[in-house]
Amino acid sequence: MLLIQCPFCGTRDQSEFTNGGEAHVKRPDGSKEISDHEWGEYVFVRANPKGIFYERWVHLHGCRKWFNCVRDTSTDEILEVYKLTDPRPDINKFNKIVETPSGEPNVGSGNFTVKK
Amino acid sequence: MKKKYSIFQLARNALTGHKNWPLMWRSPEPREFYDVIIIGGGGHGLGTAYYLAKEHGLKNIAVIEKGWLGGGNTGRNTTIIRSNYLWDDSAHLYEHSLKLWESLSSQLNYNVMFSQRGVMNLAHNEHDIKEIKRRVSANNLNGIDSVWLNKEEIKKMVPIMNTDNLRYPVLGASYQPRGGVARHDAVAWGFAMRADEMGVDIIQNCEAQEIKTKNGKIEGVQTSKGFIRANKVGVVASGHTSVLAETAGIRLPLQSKPLQALVSEPIKPIINTVVMSAAVHAYVSQSDKGELVIGAGTDGYNSFTQRGGFNIIEETIRAMVELYPVFGKMKMLRQWGGIVDICPDASPIISKCDIEGLFFNCGWGTGGFKATPGSANVFAHTIAKNEPHQINAAFSLNRFTSGKLVDEHGAAAVAH
Amino acid sequence: MSDLNVKDNKFIQFHQKISFQFDGKKYFAFKGDTIASALLRNNISLVGRSFKYHRPRGIYTCGIEEPNALVQIISEHSEPNTRATIKKIYEGMQIESQNRWPSLENDIGSINSFLSPLFTAGFYYKTFMGPHKSFWKKIYEPVIRRAAGLGKPPKEFKAISNHMHHNVDITIVGAGLNGLLAAKSLINSNYDVLLIDQDDQLGGILNNSNKILSINNQQPSEFVKEIIQEIQNASNIQILKNTLVTTYNYIDHLIAIEDKFVGSKPTNDKVNSTLHKIRTSHVILSNGHIERFLSFQNNDLPGVMLSTAFEKYICRYGVSPSTQPVIFSNNSNSLSLIKKLISIGHKPRAYVDSRSGEEIETELFDTIHRNDIPIYTNSLIAAAHGKKHIEKVLIENNSGAISEIKTDYLCISGGINPDVHLFTQSKGILDWDEQHLTYKPYKSFQSTITIGSASGQFDFSKIDTELNEKLSIFNVDKIKLDIKTNVCSLLKVKKLWEVKSPSKSIWAKSFIDLQNDVTTKDIRQAISEGFDRIEHLKRFTTNSMGTDQGKISSINALGIVSDLLDKKVNEVGTTIYRPPYSPLSFAAIAGRNTYEFYDPERKSPIHSWHLSKGAVFEDVGQWKRPWYFPLNSEESMHDAVQRESKSVREGAGILDGSTLGKIEIKGNDALTFMNLIYTNDFTKMKPGSSRYALMLGEDGMVKDDGIICKISDQHFIATTTTGGAANVLTCMEEYAQTEWPELNVYMNSITEQFATFNISGPKTRDIMQKVFPDIDFSNQTFPFMTFQFHTIDQIPIRIMRASFTGEMGYEIYVPAQQALKIWEKIHHFGSDFGLVPYGTETMHLLRAEKGYIIVGQDTDGSITPIDLGLNWMIGKSKKDFLGKRSLTRSDTIRPDRKQLVGIIPSNIDNHLEEGQHVVLEDKIQTPMPMLGHITSSYFSPTLNHSFGLAVIKNGHALIGTEAFVSTPDQKTIPVKIVNPVFYDQENQRLVS
Repeated sequence: MLLIQCPFCGTRDQSEFTNGGEAHVKRPDGSKEISDHEWGEYVFVRANPKGIFYERWVHLHGCRKWFNCVRDTSTDEILEVYKLTDPRPDINKFNKIVETPSGEPNVGSGNFTVKK
Repeated sequence: MKKKYSIFQLARNALTGHKNWPLMWRSPEPREFYDVIIIGGGGHGLGTAYYLAKEHGLKNIAVIEKGWLGGGNTGRNTTIIRSNYLWDDSAHLYEHSLKLWESLSSQLNYNVMFSQRGVMNLAHNEHDIKEIKRRVSANNLNGIDSVWLNKEEIKKMVPIMNTDNLRYPVLGASYQPRGGVARHDAVAWGFAMRADEMGVDIIQNCEAQEIKTKNGKIEGVQTSKGFIRANKVGVVASGHTSVLAETAGIRLPLQSKPLQALVSEPIKPIINTVVMSAAVHAYVSQSDKGELVIGAGTDGYNSFTQRGGFNIIEETIRAMVELYPVFGKMKMLRQWGGIVDICPDASPIISKCDIEGLFFNCGWGTGGFKATPGSANVFAHTIAKNEPHQINAAFSLNRFTSGKLVDEHGAAAVAH
Repeated sequence: MSDLNVKDNKFIQFHQKISFQFDGKKYFAFKGDTIASALLRNNISLVGRSFKYHRPRGIYTCGIEEPNALVQIISEHSEPNTRATIKKIYEGMQIESQNRWPSLENDIGSINSFLSPLFTAGFYYKTFMGPHKSFWKKIYEPVIRRAAGLGKPPKEFKAISNHMHHNVDITIVGAGLNGLLAAKSLINSNYDVLLIDQDDQLGGILNNSNKILSINNQQPSEFVKEIIQEIQNASNIQILKNTLVTTYNYIDHLIAIEDKFVGSKPTNDKVNSTLHKIRTSHVILSNGHIERFLSFQNNDLPGVMLSTAFEKYICRYGVSPSTQPVIFSNNSNSLSLIKKLISIGHKPRAYVDSRSGEEIETELFDTIHRNDIPIYTNSLIAAAHGKKHIEKVLIENNSGAISEIKTDYLCISGGINPDVHLFTQSKGILDWDEQHLTYKPYKSFQSTITIGSASGQFDFSKIDTELNEKLSIFNVDKIKLDIKTNVCSLLKVKKLWEVKSPSKSIWAKSFIDLQNDVTTKDIRQAISEGFDRIEHLKRFTTNSMGTDQGKISSINALGIVSDLLDKKVNEVGTTIYRPPYSPLSFAAIAGRNTYEFYDPERKSPIHSWHLSKGAVFEDVGQWKRPWYFPLNSEESMHDAVQRESKSVREGAGILDGSTLGKIEIKGNDALTFMNLIYTNDFTKMKPGSSRYALMLGEDGMVKDDGIICKISDQHFIATTTTGGAANVLTCMEEYAQTEWPELNVYMNSITEQFATFNISGPKTRDIMQKVFPDIDFSNQTFPFMTFQFHTIDQIPIRIMRASFTGEMGYEIYVPAQQALKIWEKIHHFGSDFGLVPYGTETMHLLRAEKGYIIVGQDTDGSITPIDLGLNWMIGKSKKDFLGKRSLTRSDTIRPDRKQLVGIIPSNIDNHLEEGQHVVLEDKIQTPMPMLGHITSSYFSPTLNHSFGLAVIKNGHALIGTEAFVSTPDQKTIPVKIVNPVFYDQENQRLVS
């Protein structure tokens, strides 16, 4: 169970929040022509990285405000929380824990219990 | 088949202290080149290699697995097998699989303990009843065994169920007699052993790190044991599939989420069928060992940690205690999580892609185990022929562009 | 056995005799006894039968790690698999042994032991496949299932458990010596501290062993008493006794279970257990260690016991299982036991150590010599023998010579393991400790500190140094301790995982997992078959998969495997320790979130009226909605619905529609926003008018519908479906905040603030005129799809001319508090006009006659507005709205999509079943193509026949043709495909 820092209310238990998937996905402007493929990508395809992930949460059982969050999906560690109006944090400021695409973190992994 | 298993073999080995059993599979080092590399040594991947060798005559095949074979969702699921899906495309796929299950132990000469004790799906409100009756009717017309049970019939099969004194009473159920459970590890081991016998190299502790392509064609796979060239690559890496696809520049409509399960302490037989309830997010069966095997729901966020929230376990257990009052005195022995890759329409992708020689088998979400032999079988076909089998034609990547989804979310929102 | 001559102490009240039953026979013990100590006191050592081979088993340990002594507590709803070594007895407790039939002494299942050479690891994968696959289901599996399982299923039980949340700074897990010292250091600090122990007595090793002589010149018991007193008096520390931490989640979130009835019978009216959910900033794991056992032939016999357990039975419970046990060890951990035995006038029959005389610590060697205990160095226990209890042991020296000693007890110690279960649950990493031959914590992932033996620190003289170092982050005062002990200054362990059996018999067994009957032979076989990954080995042999999770044996198994593979133990790794630490009660996990508190029952403000009228209710989401109103107990649902429907069509009826979602949308950009959310174009709509609207997902599929009231371009009120209300609001908020933050718009749920009454039927206007005499209900001033605000009897109400039944009608919105008053007033005046209340079923029937859809019944998330024939609802001139682009994808513009049609049986005596399918052939031949399914079906009293709605392929084009509909008994009935509007196609009644 995560602990999430709502930028408006402070730190609360995960059960008060709902995840909204990848952040910074801009809805295509309806007045412009786009292909079926581009639209399909918008509706169905979202990033799913192992490691640094920019995502959205909403404090559903709280202030009901949406905000963004940077989380490491290989450990679930929340690295930064920021408002929708804040700029997207540079990915280089975060430690890359997972070395290879499917690799595991040295500590905090779901898979390893013993020092390698 | 080189290795033969039977009661006579067992008795003969018993007399010699079980020292002479043959090795299940070799531990080869990777060769430089394979016709086909399967990434992911779970049931689906090992099965794919098995069917490629057995039905398509391919010999130069490798399965690469970053950990130990069968160690992902194959070894973590609640082993429910059924084919009573709503849409024709799903029904045909899962029924194909169920038929393969029915002969799998004898095919492999390895007992995967497929136990056809039936699968029940409960209805808790009028909306559930409508949905389930619709599914039963569709199943019947698709030639799949499926019946509607009323409360009394349910009670007769599962006497410990509390059908009346609960917040959402049990109003009926669908029941598929041919459904059931199987021994999950044995499926991976059986496929692995027989694939190995046919010359498939199963390479454990070999992590696929990058799928290499050139001019729209597959080149091979960069692994922790070096670069391996291949004509074709099939990715069957469940939760990690989209991460690997990304290395080839392909974005898949998958989200990886934690899914948890748990078992109770073992007791003598108390429940003789599989009971699922979508409304209260709980399903249960009892293993041959006596443990209640209970599946919980997914967490709402992406994660690769194989760990979910305790709140999900609580949700499941409270439903169990309410539905089965005798479970109040039971205890949870172990809980664990896996990483499931979920498609927007809750149906899998078994498909080729824009890169020649690169194939994906993913998006099984919370229910891939039941499809293991069927998925492997049609995926092998797709790889061997460069074309989908008619059974998996609908499960292409293209459906997310055309909009022709196979939406198996079951029920839309309850509404009046 | 020997009852020691001990006086009452805080552990056992020797003056308080308690009777209990074991397998139907009455015994006596004392208050404070566990089941195990009580049985030992009565000289009972055979407690159960093993899982697979049904071998006799006794009490192996004195704590939570117990693999063997699991019993069924008959007097507590027949709770199975209870650890006899933990559970305290109480007067009248009924206990039964498990996994035996007909009796513990004479168990038929023990024939398995004879057949055991067949029942080797994974034998079931290799057989039970013939002669036909039906044999598995009918014969093999039922036999296997009956033989397996430990206890019997429990009895029905309505649990009372509760949950308690804690938010603290520091949680100390384990109140042994280290935990108490840590807590003491934190007294009066700025930290909120929780100190948790599984025992009812704090002190751990100080209570349970003879290891410590004095601390700062104080007797251990005195020391414990004082330190507990100090901690209890501290305002910043809370102590939880009888509380076991089972789970260490992310982020520093612990689950612990507190037993509220230790030593007494749980009652049905009080909370039996509390599940503590602890969120903390730091976790101090001081949860100690667990002794390992050793593998040798028949190491499972009753009478074989861990050394520390033997010591604990003496020190803690005042019962010595034997006056002259043999001790077998590869380390110095048994010194304190020897000293204890001597101190009470007992003497070990022999001390057997795998180490040489030089390797054995001087303190230990001297004690043995001084007391004339026969010592066997460089020697091993090769086997234990006995029928249902150990009778003798075989001692093998390093030249292979075997001697025999008679004994009634054998104490074994294979070394000690830090209890790393919780640490690994937290995803910390372990490292192999070559000195102590065990895994110990290496690197924390969360805010975890391990201290004492839990951290692999076994040296009592270093306790203060370690605490001072590890607690320094809390800025606490340094401590200095002077601890005198009965243990060797350094714990030395010599590698010994198993003793090779001297017997070549195929029946000879050395166990590595006692509970699951896994032998060292099984491990060898698994390795030789290629199951050399530790997880494969676990799964193939079931090693460490029992309810004890291999607490005393899993390291030994790793040792054996690493030797066989010639690998370092770190390379072999361990299996993942899975939560919970020890089996966790379902009832406790469920807590109060079940039965009457499972899910809230949402009720309309006039629910009491429905109750008084005998309404039958239906669950719709969390709502309780009147389904129908039977006149009396005789009237069936069908009759009631037919009557209600007729009444609406001929007179008037009223439905409580309060459960419909209501959302108020305000702001300068409200109009722009609503145009984006719904398919309809609200731009030209006049204030004061309302419109039926559709909401799509971005995939173009219908997600919700409702009526939108436009008060002004800056103010709308939308209704939603009952089940969709929360999602619609959430969706609106999401888009408002994340996609169009530039729009000035706010929205709020007003569902529960207002009741909604839907009144309709030809007499409606007459009734309304009576109820609201000051309002002009004429078509001119109050036309269809308009609404007005009024204040009636000082109650502000909104009335909308709308209908879901096809009759002229109104929706009346009333503040929830005044709802009943208005509702009763309507009935008061309505009775003269035959007004009836009707429920959801009648509503469904009437709207279906009119061809109105229900989202979620006639749609299923795969239906577009075009499929429903609702093209007119799509704002063609709008540039954008949710899902717009999806409506022009290749699959959504396909002409042969499934589309909404009406269905009537060709023979009007036939009835259509909902969920059945429309097919083209009259004969069912599976698999057969299906056009689609019946989404709604009713018997219409107005049409006087059954009719239905269906979504079928190419449906719009098929209207006017004939087809068939399947029936539940696999037949078909002929039907006509028709327009989905069955009643008043010209809408004359709506606008009359």
